[in-house]
Amino acid sequence: MSRDLLVAVDIGGTFTDITLQDAQTGEAWTAKTPSTPRDPSEAFITGVTLALQQAGREAAQVGRVLHGTTVATNLILEGKTAPTALLTTQGFRHLLEIGRADLPRRDNLWAWVKPKRPVPPGWVHEVAGRITADGSELAPLDEAAVRAAALRAVVAGAKAIAICFLHSFTNPAHERRALALVREVAPGLAATASCDVLPVVREYERSMATVLNAAVMPAVTTYVQRLETRLAEAGVAAPLLLMKSNGGVAGAAAIRQAPAQTALSGPAAGVVGAVAMARAAGVADIITVDIGGTSADICCIAGGHIGLTQTGRVGPWPLPLPMVDMVTIGAGGGSIARVQGGALTVGPQSAGAEPGPACYARGGVEPTVTDAHLVLGHLPPSLLGGRMALDPALAEAAVRRVAEPLGLSVEAAARGILAIADNNMVGAIRVVSVERGHDPRGFALVPFGGAGPLHGCAIAALLGMRRVLVPPSPGVLCAQGLLAADLKAEFSRTVALPLAEADPARLDAAFLALESEAAAWFAAEAVPVADQAMRRVALMRYAEQGHELAVPLSAALAEDFAAAHQALYGFALPGVAMEVVTLRLEAVGRLPAPAMPLPGQGNAAAALLGHQRIRLPEGEAEAPIYQRALLGAGTRLNGPAILVQLDATTLVAPGWNAEVLPSGALLLSC
Amino acid sequence: MNCDAVTLEIIRGAARAAQAEMEALLERTAMSAFIREKKDFYTALFDAEGAMAVGSDLPIFGDIVGPVAKQFPLETMRPGDLYWYNDCYGSRGAVSHSNDQVFLAPVFLGDVRVGFVMGWAHFSDIGGLHPGSLSPHASDHFQEGIIIPPVRLQRGGETNEDLLRAFWRNSRFPGQSQGDTRALMAAVRLGERRVEEMAARFGPAVLGDAFAQLLARTEAVVRAKMRAAFPVGTTSFNDAIDSDGHGNGPFVLRLKLTRTADDRFILDATATDDQAPGPVNLLMHPDVPGMALGLYFLQDEAGQVLNAGGPRAIDEVLLREGSLLWPRAPAPLGLRGITMMRLLAALHGLVAVARGGNAPAAHSAYVILALRGEHAGKRFLMTDGVGVGYGARPFADGTDAVYFVAQENYPAEFLELGYPVRIRAYGMHLNSGGAGQFRGGCGVVREYEVLAEEARLAVRIDSVVNPPWGVAGGMNGGSGRCVVNPGTAGEQVLPALSDGTVLKRGDIVRLETGGGGGWGHPYDRDAALVLADVQGGFISAEAAARDYGVVLAAGALDVATTEAQRATRPRVGLFHRRGYADHVA
Repeated sequence: MSRDLLVAVDIGGTFTDITLQDAQTGEAWTAKTPSTPRDPSEAFITGVTLALQQAGREAAQVGRVLHGTTVATNLILEGKTAPTALLTTQGFRHLLEIGRADLPRRDNLWAWVKPKRPVPPGWVHEVAGRITADGSELAPLDEAAVRAAALRAVVAGAKAIAICFLHSFTNPAHERRALALVREVAPGLAATASCDVLPVVREYERSMATVLNAAVMPAVTTYVQRLETRLAEAGVAAPLLLMKSNGGVAGAAAIRQAPAQTALSGPAAGVVGAVAMARAAGVADIITVDIGGTSADICCIAGGHIGLTQTGRVGPWPLPLPMVDMVTIGAGGGSIARVQGGALTVGPQSAGAEPGPACYARGGVEPTVTDAHLVLGHLPPSLLGGRMALDPALAEAAVRRVAEPLGLSVEAAARGILAIADNNMVGAIRVVSVERGHDPRGFALVPFGGAGPLHGCAIAALLGMRRVLVPPSPGVLCAQGLLAADLKAEFSRTVALPLAEADPARLDAAFLALESEAAAWFAAEAVPVADQAMRRVALMRYAEQGHELAVPLSAALAEDFAAAHQALYGFALPGVAMEVVTLRLEAVGRLPAPAMPLPGQGNAAAALLGHQRIRLPEGEAEAPIYQRALLGAGTRLNGPAILVQLDATTLVAPGWNAEVLPSGALLLSC
Repeated sequence: MNCDAVTLEIIRGAARAAQAEMEALLERTAMSAFIREKKDFYTALFDAEGAMAVGSDLPIFGDIVGPVAKQFPLETMRPGDLYWYNDCYGSRGAVSHSNDQVFLAPVFLGDVRVGFVMGWAHFSDIGGLHPGSLSPHASDHFQEGIIIPPVRLQRGGETNEDLLRAFWRNSRFPGQSQGDTRALMAAVRLGERRVEEMAARFGPAVLGDAFAQLLARTEAVVRAKMRAAFPVGTTSFNDAIDSDGHGNGPFVLRLKLTRTADDRFILDATATDDQAPGPVNLLMHPDVPGMALGLYFLQDEAGQVLNAGGPRAIDEVLLREGSLLWPRAPAPLGLRGITMMRLLAALHGLVAVARGGNAPAAHSAYVILALRGEHAGKRFLMTDGVGVGYGARPFADGTDAVYFVAQENYPAEFLELGYPVRIRAYGMHLNSGGAGQFRGGCGVVREYEVLAEEARLAVRIDSVVNPPWGVAGGMNGGSGRCVVNPGTAGEQVLPALSDGTVLKRGDIVRLETGGGGGWGHPYDRDAALVLADVQGGFISAEAAARDYGVVLAAGALDVATTEAQRATRPRVGLFHRRGYADHVA
């Protein structure tokens, strides 16, 4: 039996979405089942079984199961990680408490309260022993102290233990020995050392990454094991691959060792899906905005290359693991509008999945962005293919709560709510662009997520962008990303060398060591040689700078770094010394990409469902509503128009033209 | 034309985003570590007449546009102009030490002036007595670097390069200065474009009304909260800085805030001590107290912005020429941060007096340690900004180990890779957080081993003699100090403001920074939290028993003894500095 079925599972707060695709034909099926937050693996397997039934296929035909998981993220954000102890270098027991001694620029100095660290200071144990900056041993590891600390952690009730010593990225001997001792003394603890998580400079950030990795390890291990058991029981013998924050997938065994790598699993999958979708449509420079219920993720992609950052964050914590370079803001379909101090504000509070917007009739009374859309006629009378009716009267009543105190009409208030939400997203997109040295006007906007395509035209117009590319299935782009993802892993090591001392032989030797790590990973993931690819990258800076830039390794590192600096920051510094801080080997195991489903035949007339009254600033108009699935390639239409589909609604604004591309994506332009 | 509530929020959001964009550009393109890593830079937008409409959340700005307008009348300004100054005396304290450069551009839509944009950044060296331009040694403002009066750097987009060449020639690190100048200019131009776009989108009249409303709203909120806080009559509070680095001190700040029967607010600081010979003078712009109280009173007002509406909430500010807060030129100003930090706490002291203790306790002034010398044939200058403890609040503990707003420390690993030092310890300064129902934030201990053959050390610490006060029953925070070779025969405690200490290879420098004062009676702190603080290394078991009445046995809570101990509560006072009192200085 051929095993060319791919299964992608995306678990959301309310629903679990399953996409099944035949890798040969591109034919796809989707299924939806209520999520089961207490044990997400239940909905996972229910959904997979349901999807197989719908497709009339058998479990044995499944070749790959792909999954984006929010288990680690939620544990971190909700502060529900396992009780974890930390072993640190003597003299540094408060390094988590001190952090970088700053507070966020936009916070009020007198109001800010320091977030509670994932490890209480009483659980941080100092261990004597010192490696110096050049990697030599100044003082030997106090092995008795390691044993004693591990025992104290067990007695105190720890379930996990993290080990991070100064300069271990140069010489990991003390960490390795401590890890061995901990495993000997306390075999029941999930244990992890920073040299295995991320051997790079900056002790606070590295310690935090190690702590978070240890602290989510017990729950993620249990979760992954449960998924594997349930898949096996259901007769699925295919490997389980999980999405990582870097936009690639990895096998379950690798994730059990490095679960913190899944912290941005969901949003990363969306970006991978957007890039694959844009590539199929022949577009390389895009800015994605993934608008969900409570937040929006923004990512700027130049030349089709997904940039990685090692200065990412999860909640208040730095997590320097390589992750897709994106920012998240508190603006989504559920963002609540309020009158505060005489001003209308939108978000960051959200109605979330429960009770949701007022128009969902689940008890919400405060007006949300979604309610504003309904008031203005941007949404059809029901969502999810008719399964969820929307109540316009409830939406109006909610919006009236902010309209009246401001002396505005309900319509004006609704328009105001959207204008403010759009403005917040525009501000964030501008900052993202400036930080990465790009002008958004040369990019196409890719709005996705259930609420994204309602905002595409408005956001693009404010940014001076002329093109909006709406994916074929904007609401399930994460699943598309899972199906399109390759196996990816990065292997990093800080070397901290002046460029003058970084001769090719020295760098080559360091990279060869990283490549042997990569080879072990390729073997563990069973990647055929033909599908293996590796890229050598140097993270460089000018002496005394605090941030590094990633430069592909070449014989002309100095010139390349200067050029990259010039491109990103607008200047280079001739004559200033450069440093190679960290070496990164990016390993990719290519997975065969499934064929893309193509749009069917059809035209605007066939897809027309009717008309709906839409309130525009210029006055009311009758806007046609189209069933998007029935719009064939080449179809063109003019705004205003509303395009409905199972997972999202697209608003084509007046003055914008829409065209269905051969790939199935919708190109809006003005 | 009136700006409606929706447009107002859009303009406020767009202004905040413009600031974020300018700051991102500046951080990414500046060259000096002061800007890139320590993040000592700020931005603001002003209305067409020069009133700050959207500022940064930092309470140190005076009237920025005024000094420029005095030299270059507003009606003579043209699109493409860029103005610049760092002249403290010439700007009446709009900037308060010369390292801070102000770049200011008017924004036009067509021929109509619609606003101004400011970029503000600390340049790491602008000449003067020692590298870094700031030193406790300074006795004359002219030793603190080159002074730029309000000048026009660009006219109609045309740059006066000669002016820049003269400026850069005065820096020990001209390349850095050059890079920082370019970055600041680019950031201001970006902000100018954004304000111009806002004016084009909404019209100058609507934009102007939006700025006016933002100012009026802030003034109204701050005024209302001042009325709620201060009774009719005069509220007084005094506090002191220890020394000026030249053997003089303490210097007492004396504040009187009067609310008249017709609700006017008058801040009188004329009784403050005379100016200091050393560089701790704060040439305080009269707008600064309103900005500082504004920041405090806006802390629960997410929808408001800090701007010139804060100063407008105070009707009059009285200062005395020749005093620490209005020194006569050319008194040195370089370390005015010490006095600024004490002033911020003293303003909270006024609130505490008026509200019976419902205000934050005092904090320590941030600490700077600089080590310079030669190693392996190369000169080095390591400037380490070190965090302190902030005051406990009526709703939360004080913040541990923070420098000031957005400024980051250097990782120990980076210091060891880049400088001839080894960091032997970096942790909380035990017992430095003032005891209280809410504990004051702890300062830190940072211990350096010198690996260079020889080096010179400068330190800057305050609140040693006069530690940060506690309030509402909370006790004072701990003091900072700097010790060379502690615990050895050659142990040497350095003067808190000192420069030029010679160190040899192997010498140990132990820096301890001060904490914040506590809030509320220490016996009201949950014993479990006290136990956690002992286990966490914030307070000692002895201090737990002495200050909190919490007794531990074998590392666990001794419930019976604790209850017995806590049954007799020591009497407390409104303030605490080495003892309870109704006043601190």
